[in-house]
Amino acid sequence: MLGDREGRSGGVRRREVTDLYATVLEVVKRYHGAARITRVSYGAGMPVDRVRLLIRRLIDAGLLRSEDLDGRPVYDITARGQEFLDTYWKMRGYVEALDRSPEDRTFRRR
Amino acid sequence: MTETRVPRGATVRLGTVTGDLRAEPNSRIEVDGRLVVPGEVHFKGKSEVGGDLECRYFRAEDGTVRIGGGLSVQEDIHCEDAILEVDGELKARDVDVDRGLRVKGAIHGRTFDVGGFLEGGSTLEATRVSVGGLVRLSGKMIAQDVEAGGSIDIADVDLDTLEAGGLVHIGGGTVRQRIKVGGRFVSDAPTEFGALDAGGFAEFRGDGTGGSVKVGGFFTARGNLTFTTLDAGGFGTIEGNARGTDVKVGGRFRVGGSLELAGDLEVGGYISVAKEIGADRLELGGKLSARRAVIRTTAEVGGAVDIPGGLKAQRVTLGHRARAAGPLVGGTVELRDRAKADDLYGESVVLRERASARRVFATNVRLDDGADAEEITYVQSAEISPRARTASPPRKVDQLPPFPL
Repeated sequence: MLGDREGRSGGVRRREVTDLYATVLEVVKRYHGAARITRVSYGAGMPVDRVRLLIRRLIDAGLLRSEDLDGRPVYDITARGQEFLDTYWKMRGYVEALDRSPEDRTFRRR
Repeated sequence: MTETRVPRGATVRLGTVTGDLRAEPNSRIEVDGRLVVPGEVHFKGKSEVGGDLECRYFRAEDGTVRIGGGLSVQEDIHCEDAILEVDGELKARDVDVDRGLRVKGAIHGRTFDVGGFLEGGSTLEATRVSVGGLVRLSGKMIAQDVEAGGSIDIADVDLDTLEAGGLVHIGGGTVRQRIKVGGRFVSDAPTEFGALDAGGFAEFRGDGTGGSVKVGGFFTARGNLTFTTLDAGGFGTIEGNARGTDVKVGGRFRVGGSLELAGDLEVGGYISVAKEIGADRLELGGKLSARRAVIRTTAEVGGAVDIPGGLKAQRVTLGHRARAAGPLVGGTVELRDRAKADDLYGESVVLRERASARRVFATNVRLDDGADAEEITYVQSAEISPRARTASPPRKVDQLPPFPL
């Protein structure tokens, strides 16, 4: 899952709330407008009630949108949601860069 | 259509049945040779088949279904709130599984749509693979399009497109069209790609050969990298040699070997090249350091260059307050207001107001007001403003010493 990766000490980094939002958005994005809550739950590795809460917040923030398909809600990412993901991953890249090996830190000091 | 039912909690032994097969929760089916079902197999709840299963349609809901042998489905597999585990090979046309698919043998199909995880102990051949969560495959994946919302870990790939929101780790291979990774991309062995777009972190541990590379965050190539265009907005490192058409660096970039470009090098941030730079045009707003650089047309430096072996171009321009350490060599070399450089060599060298250089060797030299040079050697003309400063009078010679580079 997103965020379950090596932290600076080499251990597994605990997912923070921004990681959870990004996880849900990435999973929803894979379904191209037809993401059902159970699929998002399985993809994100979170219980349905937790995912439902996160999706509600993401919809309120304009990062996701919902519509009915065959009487059941399906979700899709918005342009603003994609913007969130772009920013999130860029920031994660910078954090990775700051946690790099000593030789890379030498480079950064130059 | 006839139907064979396996009651809840029962263990039965079956071979070939007619019509459909319906298994209730906690059932186990022992197999005589091979279980063949001409119609639909439907599992409700946790169930197990002790050997090979062949059917037309496969359905499962609410539980884990384990197939102790191979599973061959003529049409499609649909599992709702279920996990499907197959000990042997899996063959099906289309596969749609909510929770997870775990297969020890080879996997063949047209489309795979999995909500949770897809784990394979061997190879996978398909047209399209889409997984909401995790993909892990010990063998080679041959497919057109692969995407995952979570992470992908595949030993070897032969794909058209690869797209993941989370982490992508491949053992190497070919992605002919596009690799698009929101999160982290790592390839352990030589990789060929059409285009790479990494929003977060990308690392080639073997050589990389491909088309355009766009990195928003952090990019590392442990070996050599061949590309068409490279656009690095964040941090980038190529430990070997880099060869391509154009490079645009907004952040920081380091090349451990040489950088050879058929087109332009544009640096807004900082680029460091351990050996040589070759390019058609250089536009530098930030900082550049290299052993030496040979630019075929124009080099415009707005920031700073540290280039002990020299920078050569048809026209070298050092902008307002720009700095150059190392010789600048050109047909024309111009230092704009308050720019500062070491030795200058050219057909024509111009120092604008308050620009300064150490030694100037040129056919024609011009120093504007407040410009400053320690030593001037020229062949044809030296146009020195009365308000310019020179440590010694300009020296006219018949022939200039050989230029560096």
